[in-house]
Amino acid sequence: MKLPSTNLVHVLIGKSILETLFVGSLAVIAFLSVLPPYFHGWGEVANDGIAGWAVDNGSPWERVEVQLFIDGKFFGTAVANRPRPDVSAAGWALDEWHGYSFITNSLNAGPHEARVYALRNSGNATRKSLQLLGTPMPFIVGADGKLQPLSPAKGRDK
Amino acid sequence: MIPSESQTSLERLPAGVARSLPLWEIASVITSCLIAEWAVLVFVGRSKLVMAIPITLAFALMLFSHRERGETSRDLGLRTDNFLTSFRLLLLPTLLAVFLIIAFGWSTSHGSFGALWRWRFAALPLWALFQQYVLNGFINRRAQMALGAGWKSIALVAIVFSILHLPSPTLALLTLLAGAVWAFVYQRAPNLYALALSHTAVSLTLALTVSPHWLNGLRVGFKYFG
Repeated sequence: MKLPSTNLVHVLIGKSILETLFVGSLAVIAFLSVLPPYFHGWGEVANDGIAGWAVDNGSPWERVEVQLFIDGKFFGTAVANRPRPDVSAAGWALDEWHGYSFITNSLNAGPHEARVYALRNSGNATRKSLQLLGTPMPFIVGADGKLQPLSPAKGRDK
Repeated sequence: MIPSESQTSLERLPAGVARSLPLWEIASVITSCLIAEWAVLVFVGRSKLVMAIPITLAFALMLFSHRERGETSRDLGLRTDNFLTSFRLLLLPTLLAVFLIIAFGWSTSHGSFGALWRWRFAALPLWALFQQYVLNGFINRRAQMALGAGWKSIALVAIVFSILHLPSPTLALLTLLAGAVWAFVYQRAPNLYALALSHTAVSLTLALTVSPHWLNGLRVGFKYFG
């Protein structure tokens, strides 16, 4: 058996570079497929729950499925198909049917934090991912059961 | 003739580089297998086309390395003259493994195997030959170049074979033991056909007699969880 030439070293280095590029490309493609930068939306604290809107600019005529998490726990799921003429008027959507609303009358009195996520299916629905819409919403439930928004800083202070 | 810069012999490289090159080759092939088993499935799913990319790269490296080192198919173990020697060495451990697997399958399935023959089992001898080529025809030979024949290179081959069967604990343990036996036999009588025969017998017995609960359908890598 003969000693190999330095070509073998070159091939090993080349293969390592190719594999690094291959895995890097797979990661970027997978990220863009699972978490595409097409979702826009916002949430607000209303008297009786959380309301807002969600749009998938990749499929602007589709209604986005959203999930509400309160204090990190799943609360409920809804389809953003309620009228929000202000959203289409502001140019965020092609039509007005992108609003959602969650009634949260089962919460204990005290401070809480709500997060609304857009649910995305990819890979023929084998993968599901959640994308945060807007920012976390700190709020307080009063003795009368009504919700009052807290500023993020105030929420953290509590 | 003066060799060109790109064809400089490794004798001109630092001794450490030349000595560690076979280990680098082993690491490179393992990396390709792990990319196929883990990264592709995580990122893309069961796309055979994408999975073929790292496998092709590994195969290309192995073929190039054989050519660079002047190894013939006979050197690798694709030969018949030592088949009986290798077969004799493998007979007892293979029969013992088959007996133990049947006993384990019988006791854990409460006296009824229930596993059905599947036509994909017909391709098992070819798959076993391919695995034995990679494991012994390439990795074992490179391990011997770096560490010499003996327990160190045998242990390396067994550990590599076991790592490639993670995260299945049952398969990782079985392949550690089987990998050590096959690596030992290959170092005594390098014959890939006899090894593939033993590999086929053990794999087929596993698939037909041990409950999927223990083996998870012989799945390895990320597929184990799916």
